[in-house]
This record gives sequence, C-alpha cells and structure tokens, in this order.
Amino acid sequence: MAIKRVFIANRGEIALRIVRAAQALNIETVVAVSDVDRDSAAAALADRAVVLGPAAAAKSYLDPRLVVHAARETGCDGLHPGYGFLSERAILPRLCQEHGIAFVGPEADVIDALGDKLSARAIARAAGVPLVPGSECIASAADARREGERIGFPVLLKASAGGGGRGMVIANTADEAEAGFHKASAEAVAAFGDGTLFMERFVPEARHVEVQLMGDGAGNVVHFGERDCSVQRRYQKLIEEAPCTAMNDALRAQLQQSATALAASVKYRNAGTAEFLFDVMRQEFYFIEVNARIQVEHPVSEAISGFDLVQEQLRIAGGAPLSVKQEDVVLSGHAIECRINAEDTRRDFVPSPGRITRWEPPVGDHIRLDSHMSQGAMVPPFYDSMIGKLIVHGESRAQAIEMMSDALDNFRIEGVPTTVDLHRKIINHPDFKDNRFHTRWLEQVLLPQLQEKAA
Amino acid sequence: MAEPDITDSLATLISEFSRSGLAELSVRSGEFELYLSSVAGQSGKRRQSGASQGEAGSRAAAAPAAQLAASAPPASVPVATPADLPANARIVTAPNLGTFYRAPKPGAAPYIEVGQTIAEGDELCLIEVMKLFTAVRAEFSGRLHAVLTEDGTMVEAGQPLFALVDA
Repeated sequence: MAIKRVFIANRGEIALRIVRAAQALNIETVVAVSDVDRDSAAAALADRAVVLGPAAAAKSYLDPRLVVHAARETGCDGLHPGYGFLSERAILPRLCQEHGIAFVGPEADVIDALGDKLSARAIARAAGVPLVPGSECIASAADARREGERIGFPVLLKASAGGGGRGMVIANTADEAEAGFHKASAEAVAAFGDGTLFMERFVPEARHVEVQLMGDGAGNVVHFGERDCSVQRRYQKLIEEAPCTAMNDALRAQLQQSATALAASVKYRNAGTAEFLFDVMRQEFYFIEVNARIQVEHPVSEAISGFDLVQEQLRIAGGAPLSVKQEDVVLSGHAIECRINAEDTRRDFVPSPGRITRWEPPVGDHIRLDSHMSQGAMVPPFYDSMIGKLIVHGESRAQAIEMMSDALDNFRIEGVPTTVDLHRKIINHPDFKDNRFHTRWLEQVLLPQLQEKAA
Repeated sequence: MAEPDITDSLATLISEFSRSGLAELSVRSGEFELYLSSVAGQSGKRRQSGASQGEAGSRAAAAPAAQLAASAPPASVPVATPADLPANARIVTAPNLGTFYRAPKPGAAPYIEVGQTIAEGDELCLIEVMKLFTAVRAEFSGRLHAVLTEDGTMVEAGQPLFALVDA
C-alpha cells in the first residue's frame, strides 16, 4: 500500500531532501528532530516536526525505539532512515515491521547479511563478483613465494590476528615475499602472539568506484550507472563523479552487471550501492562492500540519469514495482559533486560549527545545491560537519569541471570556515583535470603541495 | 492537504472498541475529543483510582488511537505554557519523546494531584518508549499548580508537563 505519511528519522540536508521527495508524491511528512534542530529547514518544511530528545545523537537520532515510538504515535505508515545514524541498523526495519510501518530500505535480514564482511564476501563470491585475489593461511617462506607468484605482485602480507598496520609487509617480488614472511611473522608474533599470515594483492593506485542500485525485493534490480569517489581524505569522500571515466565502456558494463547480479542474488529491495576497488594499472575491479541505504552522493547519479532516486525509494517502500526497466535508464553527460563541510582545512580539517552569517550559493541551469543552510542558520557542534552538496551536470567531464570551478567561485559563505576553497584547488589541479588520481592522491600529493606553498 | 472528516472514522472506532473488550478508550485529535467506556455508570474522561481489573488493558488503547490519528492531519506542537499560569510557576518538561502517564499503572492513582506538595526527587509521571517506562522526578520542590499535558498522549522532548508553584 502506498505510503501516506512518512517519518523522517534523520537531519540536515538529507531530511530536507526526503521531505521534498515525499511532498512531490503527496505523502505527508513528519520530521524527527533533536532539541537543537527544532528550527531546521526540514522541520519548517515538513507537515510536522517532533522533538525526540536532547542534542546528543545517542539520546535522539540514534535511539531506534524512540524513533519508532515517535513514528507510530504520529500515525506514520512509512519511515525513511536517510544515511548514517540508524540507516543500516537491522533493528530499525525489525521494529518498523512489528508496528506495521513500511521501512524505506532493505529487509532486516539483508542488512545483516551484507553488513557482515565475511558474509558479504561470500554472497559476492557466490554471485560471481570479483574479490581482491588473496590466499589462505601462509605457513612458510616457500608458501609466501608460491602464493605471491600465483596472486601477482605487489602483494600485502597481513597478520590474520592483525590490525593497525602491524604485521603488514608489502612485497614487490618473490624474494621480497620470502624475506617479508619472516619479518611479518615475527612482527605478528610480537604484536598479537600469533604469527599466522595471509596474503592479498596490493593495489598501490586504486580508484573507488560504486554502482547505484535499486531493487524491488523480488529479484528485479536496475542500476543507474557508477560513480567515481576517489578524492578522499582518511576514507571520507570529498568529490564524487558520474560516470567513471577512468574505465573503458566494456569494463564499466561488467562492473554494472556484477553489482546488479549481486543485488539480485539477495533479492535486494530499495536503494543500495555496491562499492568496488578499481585497480587502474591492471584494469580490474574488486568488490569491497554493499551500502544498504541511499548515499550522500546519490545526486550525481540522478543528474546523469534524470531519475529521482528518493522518490523511487518511497514508491518501492509503499509496495510499487520498479518504475523503470534497465533499458529505460539512459545516462548522459557528466556530473560532479563537491561536499561542502564546515571544516578548517588549514587546521587538520577540524570541524568548525557556528552561525552562517552569509550564504550566497551559485545559481545556474545545471547547478544543484542540496543544503539545509541559509543566512543566519546554525551549524551545531553535535553532528557531522557537512553543510551542503554542490552538484553540476555538464555534457562532458571537462565541461563539468569548468562549471564546478565557476560555481565554487560564486559560492559565498561567511561565519564558518568551509572546504569550498580546497575544492577549488582540487578541481583546478592538473592531475584532477587529466583524471590522474587515486584514493590516496589528496593526502599524498595535493595536501603536501598546499602545505609547501603555505610554508 | 484535505481535512478528512473525523466522524467518518467514528462508527469503525466504536465497533472496534466494542469488539476489543477494552474498558475505556480516550481519543484526542486536534479539537476533536472522544471518550468511550464499557463500564456501566462510569463517566468523565479520567480513570478513577481503585478501578476494577477490567481496566488493565486500557493502556493498549494507544494502538487504535494511533490508527485514528493516521486519518487525521498532523497536530501542531502543543502550546508551551498556558497564559493563566502565575508568574512564579516553574515548569517540569519531558526529557525525551514518549507517551506520558500520570499513574504508575493503569487504574492506579496518579503520582501527584493538583494542590499536592512535592519534594525534590519525587516521582511525577512516567514516559513510555516502546514499553520501556521511565519515571520523571522533580528537580525542585513545590506545590502542583497544573497538569499541562493529557494523560496517555505523546509528548515531545522539552514539552511542559507540570507547573509547580512555591509550596
């Protein structure tokens, strides 16, 4: 049954995004807020806002019982978890089901199965999705040599009891693998009291590539192309693009097919993303994990497909079939998204909450801004520091880069330091323009360059 | 948003109530208020203290009430403080969202009544979240001047529950 009133268990730009999508479908909206979010843009736009609890997320947005109680008592028949917070906690769909509320996301058991790393790898393997080539237990230096040759160098020797980089050795040749075995094993014994090792292919220059999926829960899955999210700092994405232009079309088709097969194999319901590591040198991709929710960067896929993913989420959760067939999904042009965070990039990206005293975003035909901010709005110190997502859609990557550069130049924010200036430097960097970067490029190349200039 | 006519739901509600075996049902939605009772001779919205065993299930009435709410437009957040409170009144607010109960269990007397004197640390009411009941205690002493929230309804974090004046 189509959802009549949806409860939005999130905050910030995504809460606002969900309210708008619901209103477009004539669904009533109730937004959950914490005490400090009473005056949020989502709360103002929604039919109703309810205050869950104090600012601390553990006592408001992160309490699944509180959230479902509020949804039930406000007469909601659907619940959208957004991203982060409770979005991938299986208890939320379980509580929703107990109380007759349609959860806008996958089934609880699917969240559990995909949330566990080993189980997710097993699902991927069974669906024929490539995993990072690796070994079983490495028992001797001879084993290390043989397995290294089989997997292909460079390889990473890892302590199976390990973590934090200890007992980890990179080997570029068979000789290094033999020598590395003794070193890694001794380190592992010293650190963990267990010298057991295993081996994985090491990808020195990887891109992060992911496929946007939508399933109906009956085994039908449609993809909306892939995104390249390789500009990262400490595993946090800063810029996302669609499509991935570092990959040829044949490989992109394989990637999309792998992701779709994986999701279909678990009869995936609603929106999800399959994440992959792309080995640029070898032109191979390996499965990382599935994010069982809508993602921050979904707008770049919406831009190139012209399809509203959040509206589709609400329709599917209401029991509707997929509204498009794969052949109806036509991808065109190139989209780029910059995450605007209230962070001081010159002080190790420290989150810098405060009041926005000036907010003048760029406007234009091919510019989209997803943000809950406005002049006078407060960035509270309790949650993540993202204050907006700036998205442009051009005919080509080069054009999109130009549009983004202009858009960033015309973005005036005062009151809090932001990442706008850093984005400008990334977007205009020759490596970015030439598409020559990888997931550690920002930390290894650009940030050190900027530090040198500043010194 | 079209305003659905609440009387359309009345007949269904009454027949569901009769079938449910519940003793009482109190429903409020915006301006609309309804009290149903299957206990002969009992009237008024408040449950009487020392009532019969038959009332044990009345707390389950929250479920049908929620269903009715689904057909009504969302209510606005209740007014924080009634205008007629004395200037020196101190307000006890809800620490989190939940269902507000004035009594420790269905049919029991409320923790506190208007006019009663309260010491710091006294239990004032319960807030229920998914069957988990948490007591709200007085953070200051005083005399209960007014109850600001309807028993058995959802309250939001920070919503005024009681007004206390100097004893």
